[in-house]
Amino acid sequence: MLDLRVPSGWFFVILGAIVLAVGLVQPDLRAPLTEVNVNLYSGVSMLVFGGFLLLMARRALRK
Amino acid sequence: MKLAAVDYVILAVYFAFVIGIGWVLRKKMSTSGDFLLSGRSLPVWITSLAFIAANLGAQELIGMAASGAKYGIMTAHFYWVGAIPAILFMGLFMMPFYYGSKARSVPEYLKMRFDEKTRGFNALTFAVMTVFSSGISMYALGLLLHLVLGWDFNMCVLASAGIVLAYTYLGGLTSAIYNEVLQFFLIVAGFAPLAILACYRAGGWEGIKSRLPANMTHSWHYMGHASENPMGVELFGMMAGLGFVLSFGYWCTNFLVVQRAMAAENMSAARRTPLIGAIPKMFLPFIVILPGIAAIALAQMTGAGGAHLYELPTKLVHGSVVKDYDQVLTTLMARFYPAGLLGVGLTGLMASFMSGMAGNVTAFNTVFTYDIYQSYIKKDAPDSHYLMVGKMTTIVGVLLSIGAAYVATLYNNIMDLLQLVFGFVNAPLFGTFLLGMFWKRTTGHGAFSGLVSGTGAAFATWALTVGEGKGGILGNLHTFPSTMAQNFWVAIMGFVVCVVVTTIVSLATTPRTDQEMEGLVYGLTKIRHDEGVVWYQRPAALAVVVLVLVILLNIWFA
Repeated sequence: MLDLRVPSGWFFVILGAIVLAVGLVQPDLRAPLTEVNVNLYSGVSMLVFGGFLLLMARRALRK
Repeated sequence: MKLAAVDYVILAVYFAFVIGIGWVLRKKMSTSGDFLLSGRSLPVWITSLAFIAANLGAQELIGMAASGAKYGIMTAHFYWVGAIPAILFMGLFMMPFYYGSKARSVPEYLKMRFDEKTRGFNALTFAVMTVFSSGISMYALGLLLHLVLGWDFNMCVLASAGIVLAYTYLGGLTSAIYNEVLQFFLIVAGFAPLAILACYRAGGWEGIKSRLPANMTHSWHYMGHASENPMGVELFGMMAGLGFVLSFGYWCTNFLVVQRAMAAENMSAARRTPLIGAIPKMFLPFIVILPGIAAIALAQMTGAGGAHLYELPTKLVHGSVVKDYDQVLTTLMARFYPAGLLGVGLTGLMASFMSGMAGNVTAFNTVFTYDIYQSYIKKDAPDSHYLMVGKMTTIVGVLLSIGAAYVATLYNNIMDLLQLVFGFVNAPLFGTFLLGMFWKRTTGHGAFSGLVSGTGAAFATWALTVGEGKGGILGNLHTFPSTMAQNFWVAIMGFVVCVVVTTIVSLATTPRTDQEMEGLVYGLTKIRHDEGVVWYQRPAALAVVVLVLVILLNIWFA
């Protein structure tokens, strides 16, 4: 059976990378009420979450 | 709201993944059981997140932000009172019968426990209900996307339905459940930043409290009298109506959610599915309700130049301008999300819509295939035939939902009416299950007459009372302070009449023998107590932990 952690892990790695890239390329991009570079923070969080899922999937595979 | 290229890229990546998951799973679909029941093989973390996500449709997301803006933190009652206790009850006390009976659906359990007519009544009303609720949410989504992004309504409806059809047709229930987990993560990723940013900008919880009337930031303090709280409900009506009848009726008997737990790999996992799902469920208010509450505080704050930070959206109704709370969520996104994160938030909204719709479609095809087609149309065909029927029903279910969405565009009031009728049907259902599972004397005739008369009583209560101008078509014996209070009492009456009638008719008719009811009724079923496993794998211990947490949350925001 397909280990769901693999596709969801990749999904968040890709999503996180895209959003992080926006945060790095356009660091001054802001919405009317936002004062920080939210793309940067949420991009990193999604990347970390995706990486965590992939790591868990690899550990399960090794057992 | 305008989208940048990157937002479209994110949306496209999401579509590719959901369909890709269906594509990979398509080879595993060799029997009707694989397609409609996931072969009862899924690990517990997956089923429990799907259990929550299938219920977290777009209407829920939009509606909870709207209610947050309208009623404040009291909206959390829909979670902490109107969901968690029922979820715990279902996992601890009802799952042993659902899973242990080997029934493939909730209506089939009714057939095993009672008789054919009770199953038929439930299967039919449920099938109609799922089609219309996915149609209604499709309509709501199309309307919203048209309103905020200017997208074409037809394209929204057809494209989103087409994608849900693609992955449920390819990979059946497993694909729906897998995607629900992915969608759940995405909803959190897309909306948690909004809650954090909006709350922070409004000065944190303390800042919100200082700007809002006290009855919007306390969930229990103003429950003593209906006129003091924004929902217009009193304590008993809320506890009995929402906390007992409506929530237990939904979480314990609705096949859409029960199906997720039934797909778990063993009895222990099936029982723990709702219990583990309850943990993220109780923290969801912080993501879905909090932005709505913060919006009200932001609307009172001014920035540089004296302009308000946020204006509550409005719409025209019969020539007068009224607040449009349903747009709170999307307008907040436009104020807080730059390109990039906006794409994630929008994709999260799409994901919630799809998880809700796929939940309805997969519940519909199972109930239709097993409880209607196999029971009344063609009884003894080989399994491959039912696999084919299940797949065809998936297509038909999506087409019917699209049809329902267009019916909604034509006759908006018909949709209100239908939802009302479903309320009447649902209210007494928990009474039937409660008696059926825990009192072996309950008979099929009793259950059926209880269901029918309970539905009738719910209707009569609605028709004879008025709440905010709704109901009262046969007279007005009582006026409720709000439609919500009226809904709660309609449910209470339906439940009480169902229990009383079921009991009386059961006592007057012959019960089935004990042997026939083994595994179906409390007292005639062996319930494993999971001795010798770690505490966090034991349903009872988990339930205690969840209960303590939810009580603490209630005290915190009392």
